[in-house]
Amino acid sequence: MGLFSRHGGAKVVVSPTNVAPRQTVTATVTTDKAIDEVRSARLDWGYSNFYQYHWAGRVDSVAAQGNDTIWTMDQVGTNYGGDRDTDDWVSVIAEDIPIAASEFTGVSSTFKIPSWAPASSPSIARWECRLTVDRGGRDIDTNGEFTVVIGTADVEAYVEPLEVVSGAAETVIDIALSSPVHRAGETITGQVTLTPTMDLPDGDLAVSWQRDRESHPLTRAPGPGTELDGPIVTLGKRIPLRAGVPVVLPFEIPLPADAAPTAAAVHSSINWFVQARMMYAGFTGHMLERVRRPIVVVNAP
Amino acid sequence: MTAVQPPYPGEPLPPERGLTRDERGRDISEAQAEAEAERSKWKQFLHMMSPKLVWSMAEGYPVVLKQFIQFCLILIYPAWVFAVLVGGLFQLLFYVTVYPLLWLLFWPVRAYQKKNNPEEYAANRAKYKKNPKG
Repeated sequence: MGLFSRHGGAKVVVSPTNVAPRQTVTATVTTDKAIDEVRSARLDWGYSNFYQYHWAGRVDSVAAQGNDTIWTMDQVGTNYGGDRDTDDWVSVIAEDIPIAASEFTGVSSTFKIPSWAPASSPSIARWECRLTVDRGGRDIDTNGEFTVVIGTADVEAYVEPLEVVSGAAETVIDIALSSPVHRAGETITGQVTLTPTMDLPDGDLAVSWQRDRESHPLTRAPGPGTELDGPIVTLGKRIPLRAGVPVVLPFEIPLPADAAPTAAAVHSSINWFVQARMMYAGFTGHMLERVRRPIVVVNAP
Repeated sequence: MTAVQPPYPGEPLPPERGLTRDERGRDISEAQAEAEAERSKWKQFLHMMSPKLVWSMAEGYPVVLKQFIQFCLILIYPAWVFAVLVGGLFQLLFYVTVYPLLWLLFWPVRAYQKKNNPEEYAANRAKYKKNPKG
């Protein structure tokens, strides 16, 4: 117990530490000795939500636009270094603990994880049970952590429509997946179907996973969000593209074992995609084609 | 996304989420919105030099910092006006010297497009045609 520590001899233990939505966890608060002069005490179940925000100033001010030109990149404007990482507490259920004779000796409480709970991951949420004791002496503020894992049964699985990200759709690219839900560490299997609408130069096709983390804070100005592309899996360097002749190419993409599951929290969310990009050979003026299909990533069976 | 489901009976409702940068739209000051709403290039150019617009770049900063930035913006205001004027001058110079050269240089390309892709040519012309006022 350090000089500025607010644990004050109280300890919160949550069991089990690994839970899925709609399961129940129990928090047991124990104290070394009875805590006196207590005015009120409360237990707060919820999560710390991690997100990115723009700390001050207008995002699209005139000077900030100067940031976007190549020769003054990140050098002018009053927004330099303006996007920061932070976390905010999102309370799901808070309960007051009845206090008798101004003394607190411990309590236990149960909590049913809601079905919409975002999974625990370093980029979205850390689930906690927080104990706050308001008293005559030093207040007590301590917590017990637990991990929420999302399994295949906890998500509604349906195939979502394909998104065309860029390109002129001269070749219709379709991504078919063996399943819309995948577990972290698993291999995504599926196939890409190319249907050229006209005779085109040879194609260079590659697929990869994509992780999209969005920040959407309630009050602060949101950060830009981050897109992370996985290592690309090349499916073919010179694929002949003839009008109306479909080409089918199967693929396998390994997902990282520590992949943060798909989650939607109050201030941020994580979405996963399988994307395919195709380039045409030569300098013929055909644009790069890019499509992606949303998938759901879970981290429990 | 798929991870969000309707709440089960007896559990708390999911808390409301906020908006992303794209959903919120452009984050600009009033003075800048006014300048951007201006259709005429000349008036837009004049707006770029207005002290109100330069001053508004300190908006959204915490107290003390905001006043300090406003102070700095006042200090650099002459330089700002100078930079905008020089920029305008260069643009003018470009339209007088380089632009006619490029126009002449690409004459054959335009003539070819007009003859072989008349629809595309017309669409492109319409895209760059000056919008009538209002």
